[in-house]
Amino acid sequence: APFSRRSAYCAASVASLTNILTPTLFAGTAEWIARCQNWEGGIGGVPGMEAHGGYTFCGVAALVILKQEHLLNLRNLLHWVTGRQMRFEGGFQGRCNKLVDGCYSFWQAGLLPLLHRALHARGDPALSMAHWMFDQLALQEYILLCCQCPAGGLLDKPGKSRDFYHTCYCLSGLAIAQHFGSGDLHNEVVLGIPENCLQATHPVYNIAPEKVARAVMHFLQYPVPSLDPAS
Amino acid sequence: DEIGLIPCPEARYNRSPIVLVENKLGVESWCVKFLLPYVHNKLLLYRQRKQWLNKDELIDITCTLLLLNPDFTTAWNVRKELILSGTLNPLKDLHLGKLALTKFPKSPETWIHRRWVLQQLIQENSLPSLATKGNLGAAPVERIHRLVQEEMNVCSEAAGRYPSNYNAWSHRIWVLQHLAKLTVKVLLDELSSTKYWVSMHVSDHSGFHYRQFLLNSLIRRTVTDNNILVQNQLVNEQNPSLQKGEEGAGTEAACAEEQSVDLPHCLDEEMELCTELIDSYPGHETLWCHSDETLNNFHHSPATSHVAQAMDVDGLNESSSKQGYTQETKRLKRAPVQDSLGPEMEYRFVDKVLSTCRDVDQARFATAYRKWLVTFLGQ
Repeated sequence: APFSRRSAYCAASVASLTNILTPTLFAGTAEWIARCQNWEGGIGGVPGMEAHGGYTFCGVAALVILKQEHLLNLRNLLHWVTGRQMRFEGGFQGRCNKLVDGCYSFWQAGLLPLLHRALHARGDPALSMAHWMFDQLALQEYILLCCQCPAGGLLDKPGKSRDFYHTCYCLSGLAIAQHFGSGDLHNEVVLGIPENCLQATHPVYNIAPEKVARAVMHFLQYPVPSLDPAS
Repeated sequence: DEIGLIPCPEARYNRSPIVLVENKLGVESWCVKFLLPYVHNKLLLYRQRKQWLNKDELIDITCTLLLLNPDFTTAWNVRKELILSGTLNPLKDLHLGKLALTKFPKSPETWIHRRWVLQQLIQENSLPSLATKGNLGAAPVERIHRLVQEEMNVCSEAAGRYPSNYNAWSHRIWVLQHLAKLTVKVLLDELSSTKYWVSMHVSDHSGFHYRQFLLNSLIRRTVTDNNILVQNQLVNEQNPSLQKGEEGAGTEAACAEEQSVDLPHCLDEEMELCTELIDSYPGHETLWCHSDETLNNFHHSPATSHVAQAMDVDGLNESSSKQGYTQETKRLKRAPVQDSLGPEMEYRFVDKVLSTCRDVDQARFATAYRKWLVTFLGQ
């Protein structure tokens, strides 16, 4: 179908935050996303295609919103994404055998909180209660030491120029790496001086958690709009 | 057959910036900042209905625009309209796209438009009357075959121009799925024709991933054909007096022929290719990943009847479409394959690599592979 994982994620995000998520709206979407998980464990653009960081995040986040993560093979996914953190650079690559890129600090590292939550819901006893399953300090090092432009803004890797997209996702990845869990289980892991600490971000929507809560509360006050033309 | 930009910041001579040498088109860079806004503007005015352009002008303008910036969706869409109205031959767009890809091998819009054009062409093909635009003469089947071959070439070229070109390999898979219908012949042909390419691009994960796709499609194909054959046999046994007629016999023969795919042999060859490349080019993660997965497939070769039953094993949540991508437990529950030379050879290979290699990465990959072998195969 000429309909991408990114659109599915955008649609699911918007629908869930504004309380218009109905079963019919996303009928079949979850199964279709799951079909794109391949032998590597990640998710590709279409069934059969190579696993790719961007598509994987969008697919998994959409499934989390639709409460259908169990359709995926979570162990394979975990194996794939953890293999994407580069042992020398500390940052993440988008696909096997490619170069590190600052933006994957969010697309890839952002998968670990989602996986943590999904595996926790299954009662997995081996899960840590203080850290995500990736090297949080190494990622922070990569972002802070290699991805900052002296004139401000962040970038892909040294040598590249800054842009808003990389600035956004490097910072988002940094926030993920600095904050484990929330509420009682919140554990901060900050590299360098305390001032380096960013506000936490919501791992599904990538906006501040309070904003997510406020949006949901606000729209819950209104009924789900019906599609009847009459009224 | 190729386009490019010639770095030339100033117009030194009073001459045309277009350079044509040995069928390759070059444009001197100084003129782009005049040309692009000019044609871009003209097209936008047309779209806003402020200035009329006739069909030929439209074709020219969009062509120029797309060779300078093929991700300009509007220009491709204007051409879609021209194709639908019958004034533009879709094959021209395939050629234009091919040219654009020589300079912009990833261009998403070019690949997307290409798929639209191909879909138009297949629809045309299925119409009873095919006498249009003088691009026919060959039978529909052959026509499709030629289209497929050409697409394989275009993808190959684009993949060579940019490492791990996701869009090119994506397109290649799409063509096999939608034009070539994943027949055994085409899958085997592709396996043999990409063998050389991947050997020359050992870090191109996308290329090896494509081979995994081919092998998995072959596996799936064999299983379905096996099932069809079994069903046909059952039908025959129940109704021996049933007249089968040409068609029936034909499909069965086709199935029988297709069934002659020697899967274990294909997978064996793949392992050999991996081993050879790992030896020749130490330290490429892609090769080890490919090896992992091929061995995995080797041990689930559906050439044995075990797998047909194993597919239903365990009431797991996984959908049956993930045949090749199973969990650890499911793997271990399956019956072992007849040819057990596989694992021993792999152990020997890994040990040999570990004792002779000097590349740090190679040693690390080999150690990880060995660990995986032990967990996965060891009992």
